[in-house]
Parts: sequence; C-alpha cells; structure tokens
Amino acid sequence: MIKVEHLSKHYGDLVVLKDVNAEIEKGEVISIIGPSGTGKSTFLRCLNLLDQPTGGQIIIDGVPLLNKHSNVPKMRQRMGMVFQSFNLYSHLTILENLTIGPVKLLNKTKAEANRKAMELLKLVGLAEKVYSFPDELSGGQKQRIAIARCMAMESEIILFDEPTSALDPTMVSEVLAVIRRLAREGMTMLIVTHEMEFARNISSRVFYMDEGIIYEQGTPEQIFENPKFEKTKAFIHRIRSMRFNITSPNYDLYALQAEMEAFCEKHMISKKVSGRVILLAEELLCLQPDFSNIELVLSYSEKNMSVEFECLSKGNAFNIFENEKTADELGVLLIKGQSKTYNYEYANGTNKITLTIRE
Amino acid sequence: MDIKNEKVGDFVVVRIDGRIDTTNYTEFEKIIAEVIDGGEKNLVLDCKNLNYISSSGLRVFLITQKRLMGAGGKLHLCTMQPSIKEIFDISGFSTIFKIYDSEAEALSN
Repeated sequence: MIKVEHLSKHYGDLVVLKDVNAEIEKGEVISIIGPSGTGKSTFLRCLNLLDQPTGGQIIIDGVPLLNKHSNVPKMRQRMGMVFQSFNLYSHLTILENLTIGPVKLLNKTKAEANRKAMELLKLVGLAEKVYSFPDELSGGQKQRIAIARCMAMESEIILFDEPTSALDPTMVSEVLAVIRRLAREGMTMLIVTHEMEFARNISSRVFYMDEGIIYEQGTPEQIFENPKFEKTKAFIHRIRSMRFNITSPNYDLYALQAEMEAFCEKHMISKKVSGRVILLAEELLCLQPDFSNIELVLSYSEKNMSVEFECLSKGNAFNIFENEKTADELGVLLIKGQSKTYNYEYANGTNKITLTIRE
Repeated sequence: MDIKNEKVGDFVVVRIDGRIDTTNYTEFEKIIAEVIDGGEKNLVLDCKNLNYISSSGLRVFLITQKRLMGAGGKLHLCTMQPSIKEIFDISGFSTIFKIYDSEAEALSN
C-alpha cells in the first residue's frame, strides 16, 4: 500500500531523516517508537507532504507521490492525520468540524456529510456533543473528534502523531480505545507513540527510529521482548548508561567514584545501591591483572529499576570467580555479596564480568 | 582519612574519620602499626565516622587483629554505620571481630 524508499529530510545542515525505507501493507498498524528528536514526527509529516522530503520516494498503491505529475491533494485525502494538539476549528461546532471537509473537498451533500458525521460521532462515543464547540470538550474528547474527522474524509490511512501526549493521563485510555477499535476494523495506521504497552498490544509491526533511519523493525514480540540492537534494547528498557575507560593502574579512583555517585544521584538511585556501585568499582579494578584497556559500564534500567555493572577488559582470559589466586579473595567475596547476579564470559579477547547490583 | 588516637584506661581508642580504600590503606596500616609498636595491646577502633571501606581496608583490620591476639591483646570495634556493618557481614568479618554498639561498651569489655 505504502512504499517508502530512501526518504530523507534535511533542515539546512540538520539531517532529521537520513535514509528511511519501509513497506506498509493495507490493514497494518505500525507503531513508531524511539527517542525524541529522531525523526518520528518528521517521517509522518513527510508521508503526507506536510513537510516536503529532501529526497527519496513515497509510493502509494504504485503511484509515486513525489512526481511532478502526481495529484498530490487527491493522494493526500487518502491519508488523514491526527495531531498531538487536535487542530480542530474552534469557531465551528463539532458537526461542522466533521462535515466541512467532506462537503468542500469530497463534494458530499450536506445531508450525506451530516449522516456520516453522526455515525462517526456514535463510533467515537460523542454523539451527544454534536452541537458543542471544541472548547467545551475535554482533551480526550477533542482527540476523539479529530479521529472522527479523519474518518469523515474517508481516509484509508491514518497517521497519528503522538495522539495522547498532550492529554491528561486520565484521558489517554478513551483515545487509545478508539484507536484500538479502528485497528480491529482493519484501518491502516501509523502511530508515533510513547505509550509502550499500547504499542505492544495494538501493533502488527513496530518501527524503532533512531539516527534518522528505521533502526530496527519487527513484530511487537521481537522489538519488546528480544530486540536485536543495543540501542533498541536501551530504549525499550529505558536504560541509562555511563562508560568509564581505564588504561592505567594509576587511575583516579576518587574521580571515578564521584562520577558514578553523580550518575546514581541523577537517576535517583538509592544511596545504598550507589554505595554498592562505588565499592564494586574499586573491588573489580583491584582484581584486574591487565590495565591496558578496561571499560566499566554502569547501566540503570528505569523500567526494571535495576542497576547493572559491566567490566570489560582486554587481554588473556582471567575469571576472577574461578582463578586460584583470586577466587577466595576478600574482594571477590565482596563483589558476590553486593551483587544479585554475577557472570563471567570471555570472547574475542575480552573478559566480561556482568553484575546486577543488589537492592 | 583522618585518624585520631586517645588513651582511655587500658585501651587506645583510634577514631577513624573518612574512608579506607586501596589508595590510603597503607597509611592507615602504618598508623596502627605505630600504636602497636609503641607497646599498646588493647585497641578500640571507633568506626562512627568511617563511611567507606573496601577489601584493602578490611585486610588491615585483619592483620591488626592477628597481631594483637598474638600479643595477648584485644581489638574491639564500635559504632559502625549500617553500610559498613553490612560489609563486615558479607565478608564474614562480623564473626571474627568483636563489634560493639557504643564506645563505652567496647571499653568495658
């Protein structure tokens, strides 16, 4: 239905979309997730040409949208858009908001448009608001009207740009319920969202966008349960991490621990866990036989509220937990005691110790 | 790390302020050795203001214990912060050392 090839969008020197490629079939529900500023909304705005792409091609049912001879207004009518900020006409009643487009652009009679509008208002549960003005509605109700308006235009595809992010949390569910209903009815939808549970439940596929591309895509199970790439994993688990490189045995322990403490404080990690982290840093480093290239990675998963510590050191295999020199060491005892889980592996010339810090 | 000694009855109370880690444990070891070498056999290590200890520091505690026991003396620890006490528990040191809640208790045993 929609094919996107090498789509790019630059604002001067700023490259927002680098090279986006995707194919979307009729009836698919695609959730687009990713950190802020990675081009998710720009991608949607480029799809219906609210923003003119810098390069690439968008093909809808075999017709290239960016060709000079394409009937852009007609193609655009097939694609409705629901914005974060509703964009309803505040001086028109709800009925007029839903009928103005069909009457003026689809050449419907007023009676036809009114009948369809009433049907759609019933569908989104707001038939009683037909003569109200947008300002008389709550945020959630306005967004449901915005969705009905897209459907009044007989859109075959609806693009949702963070449809719930401007809403009070109590109103999110009513809007999501309407989107769920559309999904069940087979509407093709692309949804930029930060509602991860919703994306997981509703989508046929999930696009994870980062670095101006669709960085990873797959079924919700693939993306949420078993993402292939570290960046996707970090986003899904809301992992915040910090890396520390040590290349000399004369490293500055106090500076290292101060940075780790600051990281813990920034992420509101408890003093107790923070204390374990700084002790583990010292104990891990004390046991290293080779200081030519050590990397400590401290990660905090906001989702699981857990702290993980990795120690990666280049050199010969050296398992501190089993080595006869170190296994009975006090340091190893402290490392084990401060950790919920501990693991050692050696691959590609790198020793990797992974610890999950105790609460 | 800041260390202050005070003779109280049969004991020397060593008050530790700050942290004992891999960078300063030798300094701590030297101060304790000087006290023992000066003929003192009974020590109380007041840990009220000890806020960090790693395995390097723990080892000095252990060496001190061995020296004093060998000389027929006593090593008592007191007023440990919970985070420090936990490290002693994890390492099994809580069973090796006599740890008291107050300095008065440490001095009277």
